[in-house]
Amino acid sequence: MDVTGLGFGPGALAVIALYLVSMIGVGWLGRMRRQSDSMVDFYLAGRSMGFAVLLLTLYATQYSGNTMFGYTGKSYRIGFEWTVSVLFMFSIIVGYLLFAPRLVAVARKADFITPGDYIRHRFGSPVLTLLATILMIYALGNYTLAQLKAMGAAVEGITDGQMPSAYGIIALAVIMVIYETLGGMRSVAWTDVIQGVVLLTGFSILLFVVPGLGGGLTRVVETLSLSEPAMVTVPSLETCNTWISFILLLGCGAAIYPQAIQRLYASKNVRSLKRSLAVMAFLPLTTTLIAMICGVTGRVVLPGIEGVGTDQVLARLCALIMQQSVAGYWLVVVIFAAALAALMSTADSALLSISSMFTRDIYQVHFRPDSTEAELTMVGKVVSWVVVAALVVIAIGTDKTLVRLLELKFEVLIQIVPCFFLGLYWKRLGAGVALGGMLAGLAVALGCTAAGMTKVYGFHAGVVGLGLNFVVCAIGTRWAPATMNREATT
Amino acid sequence: MWSVPTGKMTTESVAPPDDIDSPADEPRRHGIVWVVYALLYVVAIPWYWPEGYRGALIFGLPTWAAVSLGATLALALWTAYVIHRYWDGGQD
Repeated sequence: MDVTGLGFGPGALAVIALYLVSMIGVGWLGRMRRQSDSMVDFYLAGRSMGFAVLLLTLYATQYSGNTMFGYTGKSYRIGFEWTVSVLFMFSIIVGYLLFAPRLVAVARKADFITPGDYIRHRFGSPVLTLLATILMIYALGNYTLAQLKAMGAAVEGITDGQMPSAYGIIALAVIMVIYETLGGMRSVAWTDVIQGVVLLTGFSILLFVVPGLGGGLTRVVETLSLSEPAMVTVPSLETCNTWISFILLLGCGAAIYPQAIQRLYASKNVRSLKRSLAVMAFLPLTTTLIAMICGVTGRVVLPGIEGVGTDQVLARLCALIMQQSVAGYWLVVVIFAAALAALMSTADSALLSISSMFTRDIYQVHFRPDSTEAELTMVGKVVSWVVVAALVVIAIGTDKTLVRLLELKFEVLIQIVPCFFLGLYWKRLGAGVALGGMLAGLAVALGCTAAGMTKVYGFHAGVVGLGLNFVVCAIGTRWAPATMNREATT
Repeated sequence: MWSVPTGKMTTESVAPPDDIDSPADEPRRHGIVWVVYALLYVVAIPWYWPEGYRGALIFGLPTWAAVSLGATLALALWTAYVIHRYWDGGQD
C-alpha cells in the first residue's frame, strides 16, 4: 500500500495494539470454557452457539476486508453499478434456504463436523470427498490470503509506512493463530462477537462521516452526473447478466463456505439459527451499501486513482477525515479497528475451517483412522500454524487486487454446490455423476479463466461451469442411474 | 460418535443414508416462496430501465438504484417471513 497520510499517533496506535492483544485474552477465556479435548468442542464450540453469538460470528465472518477495502475500491471504479453487491450479499441467505434446513437436520443426527463429513455420509465416496475437500481448502486458502494482504496494507497505512506491510501481516497473523489455537471455534466466535460489534460501529461512522466530505450524497451524485454520467446511470443489459451471475456466484458459493456450514452445525438449536439468518438478510443494507456510498464519494473527493490504488480509497478518505478535527481522528481510529476486525474475523474462521478439514477429512480418514480425539485436536492446531506460515510467505510475495482474488476462489468453490443443493434432495444422484459434474464444471471454469475469458456474455466462468455441472448431474441421474449407482441397489 | 469410513477408494455411490430426510417443514417445498422471490429479483435487477437512465435522486440515490435497493429490502423482509413461517426444524 502506498503511504496515504493516514499515520496514527502513539496514543491511537496503543489503543489499536491493546484491542488486538485483547483478542488473545478472549481466546484464553475460550480455552478456559472448553468442555473436552474433542473435535466437536474445538471446531464447533460443543454445538453451543446461541442467537447473539451465532449472528455476530456469521456477520463478522461473512463481511470481510474485501467489503471495506475491495468493495469501496470497486464502487470507486464502476459507480452505482456496484449496487449489485447489496443484492448478492443478501442472496447468500436465499442460498441457505435452499439446503440448510435439511442439512442441519441431518447434521444434528449424524454429528457432522466438516462439510466433508456430509459428502462422505451422503455419497460414500472417498474420492469425491477428497476432491471436494481439496477444492474447499484451496478456496479458503485463497480467501485467507486476501485478508492477510489487506491486513498488511492496513497496518502500513496507519503507521504511515513506518511498519512495512510484511511486518503487519506477520504480527496480525500470529495474534490470530494464537487465539485460534487457544480455544478453537469458541475463541474465534467470541472474538467475532467483539469484532462484529466493532465492524457495525465502524460502518455506521462511515455512513455519517464520509458522504459529508463531498458535501452530502446528493451533491456527490449530482457532481458525478455531470463529470462521469456512466457512474450513475443504469447498467447495460450485458451488465445485468453480470448481476445475475454475481447473484448465482455468491448466493450459491458463499452459502457453502465451509466456515459458514460449520456455523450451521455449531448452532445450539434450530431456533437460534433461524433468528440469526433472518437478521442477516438485512445486514447488506448496513454494510455493503455503505461501502458503495464511500466508494462513490471517493470518486468525487479523490479523483484520478487507478488500478490497485483504488483499494486504498477508503484509507485515503479516512486520512481526510482525520485532518478535519480531533473527533475525526478518533473516529478513524474506530474505523480502522473495524477494518482490522473485518479482516481478522474472516481470516480466523477460514483458517479454523482449513484446519478442521485437513485434520478430519484428510489426516484422519487417509492416514490415522484410529487416532484419538485429543491427537486430532493437537494435529489441527499444528496445521493452523503451518498453514498460516505458508500463507504469510505467499501474501508477502504476491500482488493482485482484492476483488479479483475474491472472484477466483468462487470459480472453484461453486462447483461443490450440486453436492449440497441436489444431493440433499435427489436420492438417485450418485457419487460418480456428482464427481463427473464437478470435474466438468471445474474444467470449464478454469479453462475459461486460463484463456482470459473470465466472463461469457457477462456471466462468470465459474457460473458457466456450474451450469454444465448441474446439466451433467441432471442428465447423469436421469440416464445413467443403473451403472453409476449400482451399489445403491445391492 | 460417528465413525470415519475407511473402505476402498471408489467413485461409486452407496445408497444414500436413511437419515437424509427432511425437517418438519422447509421453504423449498412451497412454490409461493420462490414465485415471490423471482418477482422481487426481477424488480431488483435493473434490466427494464431505458439505456442511460438516471432519474431523480431519492435519498441521494439514482431512481433505478433506489428501486433496486427497495426491492432488496423487500427481499429481506420476505426472507424473514419465510424463515419464520416455512422453516420448522421440529423439536430442538
